[in-house]
Amino acid sequence: MYPRPFFYHRASSLQEAVTMLSQLGTDAKFLAGGQSLIPLLKLRFANPKHLVDLSFIKNTSFIAENQNAIRFGAMTRHAEIEHSALAQKIPVLHDCAAGIADVQIRNRGTIGGSLAEADPSGDWANALITLDTTVHCLGKNGERSLPLKDFVTDAYTTALAHDELVKEIEVKIPPHGSGGAYIAFKRSAPVYPSASVAVQLTVQDSVCKEAAIALGCVGLTSIRAGEAEASLRGKSLNEKVIETASEAARAAADPQSDMRGSADYKRQLVVALVKRAIQIAMRRARGERVEGSHLYA
Amino acid sequence: MVEERNNGGKGWVGASLPRKEEDRLLRGRGKFAEDIKLREMLYLRFVRSPYAHARILSIDASAAEALPGVACVITGKEIAAETQPFIEIGPDHAQKIRDFPMAVDKAIYQGEPVAAVVAESPGIAEDAAEMVNVEYEALEPVVEAEEALTDRSVLHEAAGTNRVWNGVWEYGDVEQAFKDAAYVVNIDRLHFHRFSSTPLENNVIIGEWNPKDDRIYYGCNNSFPSFAIQFLAAHLKVHIDKIRVQTFDIGGSFGIKITSYPQMAVCALASKKAGGRPVKWVETRSEHMVASAHGNERTFRNTRVALDKNGVITAIDSKHIDDCGAYPRYEPLGCVIWSQVFCGVYRFKNARIDFWQAVTNKCPVGPNRGYSRMQHLWFLERVIDICAHEIGIAADEIRLRNYIRPEEFPYTTPNGCVYDSGNYPKMLEVAKGLIGWDEWRKKQIDAQHEGRMIGIGIGTTLDSGTNNFGQSQIINPYAPFSGNSQGANCKLDIYGEVVVAVGSCPQGQGHETTAAQVVADVLNIHPDLITVRTGFDTERNVHTGMSGTYASQFAVSGLSAVHGAAQKLKTEMKRLAAFLLETNEDELAFGVGEQGPEIKANATGKSINYWGLANIVNVNSAVLPESLYDVTLNCRYVWRAPFKVPDTKAKYGSLTLTYASQLHIAVVEVDRETFVPKIIDYVAVDDCGTVINPPIVEGQVYGATAHGIGAALMETCVYDEVGNMLTSTFSDYTPITSMNIPKIKYGHTSTPSPHSYSGAKGMGEGGAAPIHTISSALQDALFAHGIVINDSFNNADSIFRALKAHDGGQRAELVKLERKQASSAK
Ligand SMILES: Cc1cc2nc3c(=O)[nH]c(=O)nc-3n(C[C@H](O)[C@H](O)[C@H](O)COP(=O)(O)OP(=O)(O)OC[C@H]3O[C@@H](n4cnc5c(N)ncnc54)[C@H](O)[C@@H]3O)c2cc1C
Repeated sequence: MYPRPFFYHRASSLQEAVTMLSQLGTDAKFLAGGQSLIPLLKLRFANPKHLVDLSFIKNTSFIAENQNAIRFGAMTRHAEIEHSALAQKIPVLHDCAAGIADVQIRNRGTIGGSLAEADPSGDWANALITLDTTVHCLGKNGERSLPLKDFVTDAYTTALAHDELVKEIEVKIPPHGSGGAYIAFKRSAPVYPSASVAVQLTVQDSVCKEAAIALGCVGLTSIRAGEAEASLRGKSLNEKVIETASEAARAAADPQSDMRGSADYKRQLVVALVKRAIQIAMRRARGERVEGSHLYA
Repeated sequence: MVEERNNGGKGWVGASLPRKEEDRLLRGRGKFAEDIKLREMLYLRFVRSPYAHARILSIDASAAEALPGVACVITGKEIAAETQPFIEIGPDHAQKIRDFPMAVDKAIYQGEPVAAVVAESPGIAEDAAEMVNVEYEALEPVVEAEEALTDRSVLHEAAGTNRVWNGVWEYGDVEQAFKDAAYVVNIDRLHFHRFSSTPLENNVIIGEWNPKDDRIYYGCNNSFPSFAIQFLAAHLKVHIDKIRVQTFDIGGSFGIKITSYPQMAVCALASKKAGGRPVKWVETRSEHMVASAHGNERTFRNTRVALDKNGVITAIDSKHIDDCGAYPRYEPLGCVIWSQVFCGVYRFKNARIDFWQAVTNKCPVGPNRGYSRMQHLWFLERVIDICAHEIGIAADEIRLRNYIRPEEFPYTTPNGCVYDSGNYPKMLEVAKGLIGWDEWRKKQIDAQHEGRMIGIGIGTTLDSGTNNFGQSQIINPYAPFSGNSQGANCKLDIYGEVVVAVGSCPQGQGHETTAAQVVADVLNIHPDLITVRTGFDTERNVHTGMSGTYASQFAVSGLSAVHGAAQKLKTEMKRLAAFLLETNEDELAFGVGEQGPEIKANATGKSINYWGLANIVNVNSAVLPESLYDVTLNCRYVWRAPFKVPDTKAKYGSLTLTYASQLHIAVVEVDRETFVPKIIDYVAVDDCGTVINPPIVEGQVYGATAHGIGAALMETCVYDEVGNMLTSTFSDYTPITSMNIPKIKYGHTSTPSPHSYSGAKGMGEGGAAPIHTISSALQDALFAHGIVINDSFNNADSIFRALKAHDGGQRAELVKLERKQASSAK
């Protein structure tokens, strides 16, 4: 219940936070919403000597539209995205934000913290990977921007240097005729999903032009189901085609058995979720408004 | 918000009264053990074994002791040197089990405390606990009760075996019934899983062993303190009157907090070692999950069921193996408590149950909501459903053919229990009406044609309350317990205020309200004029040795005691008033006048208020004639249940006073792609006799239903093969949340109990109806796929695996039906 003793520092700018971290060395960590870090501290699984809190830095929590993209400050809370009308322009964002854990966690947890944590079961990395997402980072040597796929490199591992932080996340608004959906399966609200699926489709005259399918919680990082994507391209999306894609996704998944489910069952979930996500993405691509929702046991 | 309504009754008993405690509890103004801060308080942190079974080679606490702020470190060895092992309830070799509050030579479950650090703050205590160096030698763990019974690796070397207890319950002529049967159904193995209740508030204990007067104070949330002090006094080798236990508001117990006495012992001993400073221990959630108490796990082997040609069960023969974890503690009482509901709601007369209990390298069990009876009731409901499907009789029909009939009450079971009242067919009718049984059956058939899997299940169950502790003598003839009792005190205080104290320690059951309702009726005043003191305090001198809050009994034992105390007070008040108003005792009216609650003389209209009565007894006593010197207006009453000691050889006798009943129906659909079993309709019908406060009863029904749904579909304690607990956090254990609870339709029937003064029956535990009901519905959904539900825990994953692993289902391996043509022709 009580973490090991640590020093608490409050940064007043992102630049200062970076400087603090490089000076304090590898025993220091950024603290954002604390919804991944604090549980680890209290169980003493993580024992940093210094925490540099980003919560009091101005202008790090915002949602803004700019040149066909939506930009999020790293400290934007899940709940702010859930309730943002602007974020509704990309339905996947709302699907994802509204389904993360419970109200308390959504009120604290941040999109930047979630990407930086790179938990294999985290929602944001998997939801955003099917979109054109760029992570803007700030480090000792200034800013750099990475596509999301190059940002998360392994389970709990990102391209960030120790003293580098996520500053902003930029998501391109998909073109007209493109629709997406993000669905996760959870045993109950306050736990991580057993499996999650993101789908983004571009449909023209009921033929699928472009398809992106990502699988979460079933590998060390989000898995792109390439064969499943390919099986949709150029096809009219009937039941048989969707079935084929979902079976290809089953094969692409690489899950572990744990308390969230056996490996075989998680593969089965992938099939079910891919089907559902494709159905919703198709309808959204046609311009329909469809309420997406996570599945709960 | 509940509105005050009298529901057409004459008095306050039966009225819908908002809970007196609601305002305090819902606004966060309750006072819990964790809120108590004492001067110079220290904080305790346990060092726990990471192994399920390991010898302790050495403990080096020097670094921890050297840390500034650490008061002391105490080990199991030290404790064993100055205390007696805890009392063992079991007989013979079980008496040789040496149970100390911390591991002495070896740890026998993961999370067992091996040392405790006491420090100036909880943070320092935790830092220091990390510095205690314990060297272990891992031993072979046993995590399965059936395997434990082979004694391949023995936990308690002094006892020489892992068997805690075994005994056979046999009634009627079982073999003849099998000879005469039209059908015999054999069921290889059924399994009731291990789960717990996860109260919102974990265990909290403050212990202070004061060197000045050598007395021990406890502020805690133990839910059966009178039981705890009996264990503690013997263990600590102190006079029981030296121990004071106080409880406060309690954030749920569900029986799990009954067995916190080992941790209570450590807090007192640590306080003693620290020079008498109070020591507080606040359990963390992970500690609670790994090492507080879990519910009993039970396996049912080689079950044989005899039925006649109409599907009426004529005999059951089965072997039951209960797993009590590492130490028996409250066990082996569970080895007999199930027999309170020996035949469930059914009429069969011939039965043989060969009952075993074993210790395993897992967390010790505690009496979890529905304790020991729910395991057995689930077994009987599985038997009924499996037989129904095998023979081809509908689930409702086979129950109607087997239920004890309404006209048979009071009904004596084969083992001599007396079911006070009940009407199970009526409950079934009400439940079927509420759920729309016939429409659901039609929809189910249509759905099956589309390949969907919908099942409709019934669970009929019992909540037996106010137990006869004499059943412990069936386990151990030397056990010095029998009957049941509860104490209450009702007084007019010096200024005439009505104050009631009860020996219970409620955890949300509304005792303040229901006790006030009872007294209000006796004195004919509003319940708001009555103060009720709940929460246990030995120094109130109200309790008996069975006081506490457990086992669905307050409406009977607690309120009977309150009623008796109020009657006693009323008698005294009448004598006083008759003297003062110069009239006869039977010509007085109780009520409320201009000067508050009063007694009025019918003839003259003269009255005296409560202040006047109390004044004369307490501070104006020269006015009192000698003939009234025995009046104290401070009346303790002990209510005793009218029990006899059972015939321990024949295992025959009345074991519980009241039998509330529950009938639930669930409609469950298993998704064809995610295999999630979704409850799409749910009805809970409850009969607890006369209802004292309808919203409180309804609240208990919802709570028990939610708990049961959680247990059936989400909550299970999982251990790996070496005894690591894999569900030590809420992320893994996934206790049910409001989002997982379907809309519950509530129905109610009432068969007043002839065994209680008010006709009320104990309730609250709820008989685990949802577990039986969901198993029943799932089997109904999956039977066509060859699946028989043989475990009380089922989730999407297990259903998926059952459907995939067994081509054509596991039914063929699990269940065999023998049809005996010759006898069925008879
Ligand atoms: C009970 C529970 C259930 C949860 N369920 C889910 C779920 O279903 N789905 C889900 O996606 N998440 C879930 N979460 C996690 C939650 O979404 C977290 O909020 C998120 O993973 C981390 O964000 P944070 O702002 O809380 O980061 P913190 O916990 O503060 O930090 C996490 C890590 O990221 C680093 N960090 C934080 N911000 C930055 C930054 N801007 N730049 C660089 N590094 C940074 C920190 O140093 C730390 O190492 C759950 C959490 C809990 C407690």
